[in-house]
Amino acid sequence: MVDFSWAPRSPLEKALVAGVHGARGIEAGVSLTEIRNFDLVQVMARRGKAADMATAAKVRFGVAAPETPTAVGAADATLIWSGPDQFFVLSKGGKHSTEALAQAFASSASLSDQSHARVLISISGDKARAMLAKLSSIDLHPDAFPVGAAAATSIDHTSVTLRRGNDRDGLAVFNLLVFATFAESLWHTMLDSAAEYGVVIGHSEEF
Amino acid sequence: MTSSQSHRLTSGGLIDRSVPLNFRFDGKAFSGFQGDTLASALIANGVKLVGRSFKYHRPRGILTAGSEEPNALVELRTGARREPNTKATTAELYDGLEAASQNRWPSLRHDVMSVNQLFAPIFVAGFYYKTFMWPAKFWEAIYEPAIRRAAGLGRASGIADPDHYDKAWAHCDVLIAGSGPAGLAAALAAGRAGARVILCEEDFVPGGRLLSDGGTIDGVPAAEWLSRTLAELADMPDVRIMTRTALFGVYDGGTYGAIERVNDHLPSPPQHQVRQRLWRIVAKRCVVAAGAIERPIVFAGNDTPGVMMASAMRTYVARYAATPAKRLALFTNNEDGWRTVETALGAGLQIAAVIDARSEVSPAHRSLASKGGFPVLHGSVRGVDGGKDGVRKIAVSLTGGARAEVEADGLAVSGGWNPAVGLTSYHRGRPKWQNDISAFVPDGAPPGMVAAGAANGDFGLGACLSQGFAAGAAAARDTGHSGTVGIAPAADDEAFSLTPLWHVAGKGKAFVDYQHDVTASDIELAQREGFESVEHLKRYTTLGMATDQGKTSNVAGLAIMAAVSGRSIPETGTTIYRPPYVPVAIGAFAGHHRDETFHATRLTPSHHWAAEQGAIFVDTGLWKRAQWYPRAGEKDWLESVTREVKAVRGGVGFCDVSTLGKIDVHGPDAGAFLDRVYINTFSSLAVGKARYGLMLREDGIVYDDGTTSRLAEDHYFLTTTTAKAGLVMQHLEFCRQVLFPELDVQLTSVSDQWAQFSIAGPKTRDLLREIVDPAEDLSNEGFPFMGAREVALRGGLRARLFRISFSGEMAFEISVPARFGDAMARNLMLAGAPFGVTPYGTEALGVMRVEKGHIAGPELSGTTTAADLGLGKMMSTKKDYIGRVMAGREALVAPDRQVVVGIKPTDKARRLRSGAHIIPKGQTPGPGNDQGYVTSVCFSPTSDQWIGLALVERGRERIGEIVHGHDPLRGEDYDVELCNPVFYDPDGGRQRG
Repeated sequence: MVDFSWAPRSPLEKALVAGVHGARGIEAGVSLTEIRNFDLVQVMARRGKAADMATAAKVRFGVAAPETPTAVGAADATLIWSGPDQFFVLSKGGKHSTEALAQAFASSASLSDQSHARVLISISGDKARAMLAKLSSIDLHPDAFPVGAAAATSIDHTSVTLRRGNDRDGLAVFNLLVFATFAESLWHTMLDSAAEYGVVIGHSEEF
Repeated sequence: MTSSQSHRLTSGGLIDRSVPLNFRFDGKAFSGFQGDTLASALIANGVKLVGRSFKYHRPRGILTAGSEEPNALVELRTGARREPNTKATTAELYDGLEAASQNRWPSLRHDVMSVNQLFAPIFVAGFYYKTFMWPAKFWEAIYEPAIRRAAGLGRASGIADPDHYDKAWAHCDVLIAGSGPAGLAAALAAGRAGARVILCEEDFVPGGRLLSDGGTIDGVPAAEWLSRTLAELADMPDVRIMTRTALFGVYDGGTYGAIERVNDHLPSPPQHQVRQRLWRIVAKRCVVAAGAIERPIVFAGNDTPGVMMASAMRTYVARYAATPAKRLALFTNNEDGWRTVETALGAGLQIAAVIDARSEVSPAHRSLASKGGFPVLHGSVRGVDGGKDGVRKIAVSLTGGARAEVEADGLAVSGGWNPAVGLTSYHRGRPKWQNDISAFVPDGAPPGMVAAGAANGDFGLGACLSQGFAAGAAAARDTGHSGTVGIAPAADDEAFSLTPLWHVAGKGKAFVDYQHDVTASDIELAQREGFESVEHLKRYTTLGMATDQGKTSNVAGLAIMAAVSGRSIPETGTTIYRPPYVPVAIGAFAGHHRDETFHATRLTPSHHWAAEQGAIFVDTGLWKRAQWYPRAGEKDWLESVTREVKAVRGGVGFCDVSTLGKIDVHGPDAGAFLDRVYINTFSSLAVGKARYGLMLREDGIVYDDGTTSRLAEDHYFLTTTTAKAGLVMQHLEFCRQVLFPELDVQLTSVSDQWAQFSIAGPKTRDLLREIVDPAEDLSNEGFPFMGAREVALRGGLRARLFRISFSGEMAFEISVPARFGDAMARNLMLAGAPFGVTPYGTEALGVMRVEKGHIAGPELSGTTTAADLGLGKMMSTKKDYIGRVMAGREALVAPDRQVVVGIKPTDKARRLRSGAHIIPKGQTPGPGNDQGYVTSVCFSPTSDQWIGLALVERGRERIGEIVHGHDPLRGEDYDVELCNPVFYDPDGGRQRG
């Protein structure tokens, strides 16, 4: 009997080559990190059950689900607005899977697993905004897109969810969820856009 | 090499004499300095002749010092980077620059085509239309190519552009066009108030006319005020000054287009950098401080090299320390032109004379003349004696009729100033006439935009500063920024006092539009021939239609039209202004979207595995799909595809079908919802079962098809075709949100969540038993046809298994979360190895579906009904659904509709091609007897011949009839037999077995 192994493979497995890319001789201005091993669940309120869904979210996560284009951080998950009466639950793999959440939202919302449907990319660095300005029509000025802001938008004709995480080392961090089958294509576009600033590439399971 | 700069002043100017730059023009070596443009460097080297004109091949020199330049167009760079029609006046000099003049042969000085000048009397407006009319067929073959060779500008490289371009967005409260005194004052006020400001300056140095004209601001020299102001702005984190960036267009919702020439000033962009960047700037307010453009006066010989705009002449002297002439004359109709005389005297140049068209000259300038010892001639220039080596003598008509001659090697001309009304007019605003300056000023600007300073018709330095400052402060206030702006910078206003003069009648060609060689007499001719409207005038004479868009010529042209048609200038009106304000390379609009990155691509979960197998990929929408997997020794695609089909039909194969659209339909009303969007019923579908569904559009035509499975009481998993995945999702969301808001149903696209593979062939179950947990019952009883449920796999993963078949074989589709798709492909190869498993691509998939008579894209063509496709019986009569009523329209149920039928050639060896028309046998093909067409064809390994599907009038009633296939596109005619479209296993025993 053959031994079958089921190793997950990131859609960026081939395209992502860890290390420094683009312009050399300067401190890399952009850092691109693929975050692997996460659970992403789409939560959509059943008809007339938005309030119940909100209550269920509060019970499960201890925070209110976002009602505007923002992301709300809970202890071990982030709730990201994805439309009226719906949000994503993003968490480290294994904690808040669709199965794990099913009970909590049983009477209030429908759940769809999107963990494999998206790739999560974290963008930071001095030139993160300059590079994102080439890709996104969203105004990312600190006043216009503060920590916690989230946008369902498109980049290079590709649907993405862009949100601003907590600052790291005094610099803004942007997190991008992109459809998995578009990820490699968008990755190349991002590298093209970041190359002139110098870019550090890696992957991680740290949120 | 600096010794060659015969026309360079020893001091002054904004050039860096410590950085000499070598360059070549038409192969000849020259040198200039850092801070030069190509034009200023040519002037510094005494070069006067820089090009040949478009139509008459007349020798031309440099007319202006900015982006309005009509004459000094060159081919810049060489090889793949050769860029035609580049303005020497805006091209920054760099070391090693190579430029060539255009539209001349064999050389600039000895141009054969300049004989056109001898025939000039016949090359009038409309000449080509009038002359080359007959015979009509000669136009494309002979006349047009010949004319194109003779006329024209630079040559494109003809080689792919090696450079990269990109696009970026920017956002601000206040966008400012132009960094002259008005623009800088606006930026100061808005920036101090706390607004986010972007200031775009097309030049490589901010300052605008301050760089050439100087002046005193707040009691200090302009240069000092400029550096102080730039320093203050640089300290404001939300003020961004973008040089080398021209604002070229205004679009809806406060969006502006700008082109940044990021690395045009270098021989080639540094590694990883772009040549140019297209900016889309979203701004709440816009202050247009784009200045004004000095306008020529139209007189005979006004295109002679050495005739130059007065403001440009002083720019070359003051900013670049380059002297276009040693002894120059000025022809002006206003006080401002005299400033060139002041600058020239200050630089030690000789003034031959000032020809002033006005009767009065200011006392200050009159005393300047007497102190400088040059005459002031009241009158106008009626001719220029000179040629390719420049101006020699100027013929003057004095007021009162006497004539005079002036010896000079350069002639500065000032006919007044036209505010740059482009940006303010791009939303169909029509500029209005202002009498005191005899010029059009902005009116009807797009929402949120104001003009300030010279762009608004106020030319004085003091007015520019105060207006710009006020506009910047107001824009900041309007956008909610109320910081203290302080006091506006102050300066005096210079005298202007213009007496309009557009055209001096005289002998010889007097040019209005230099770049398109449109003369005053062309305009008079257009008027005589009835082309009086400015829009007709423009198109008939091509006035203003060159790459400079008539920046120096339009107003003069319509002034002449006004004069000859007896109307006023405002009555004559302006043509419509359209972006771009400056030419923008197509490469910049394309950005990264070229070659393999022309559009985004989608990759299936097993893509890289398939690539390792050597798959040939086909573009299917955005997808890259494995089309077939060639093996060594196979001579063509047909051989590979035939092998793949045989392997499936005889054993087992698999294909990645993850491209199908997949939608989770959740909620208590999911079944009811599906009943309304599909023609057949889904609420009755048992959990654990799949059903084929067909959707119609509102108009009764088939929209899409696919299988939908019921995974739980309140959870259906719907699939769409690859092509319609996004559209069906949109359609269903529309149904959910707008048509049926009363239903409790939720939709989520899960297309990317699942990797899905079709496994087909008689040995499918053998393969599956290897990979599926042995506890799972895969027998016909335990997992019957159209079953759908979750199963455990060996190794711990869970998968969804659907017993559905597109190929007509015993088949399953298996799906796993997408990150396991790669492992699934590899494991299917392992599990299937004992059974000779064969991966197959979309071609084999297509062959098998044609053999099985399954419909696909070519039959779901947006013109076919369910009945046309042979699926009429699926249309439920027990419920309502989208498209039901409209599908009952007379024409959609007519008995003579074209319906899907099989075809096979009577000659078994013949190849079929889709697109051929179906004609009754024995008739001559024509629209009257066209009975349909071939939609899909394939070589069927099973039938060992080409077969196809066709849409044929009453096709199903005509099985067995021989008809004629007529393919005029490929010149093919042959007979085909109409047959049952299900060529393979018509009773379906194989897929159910």
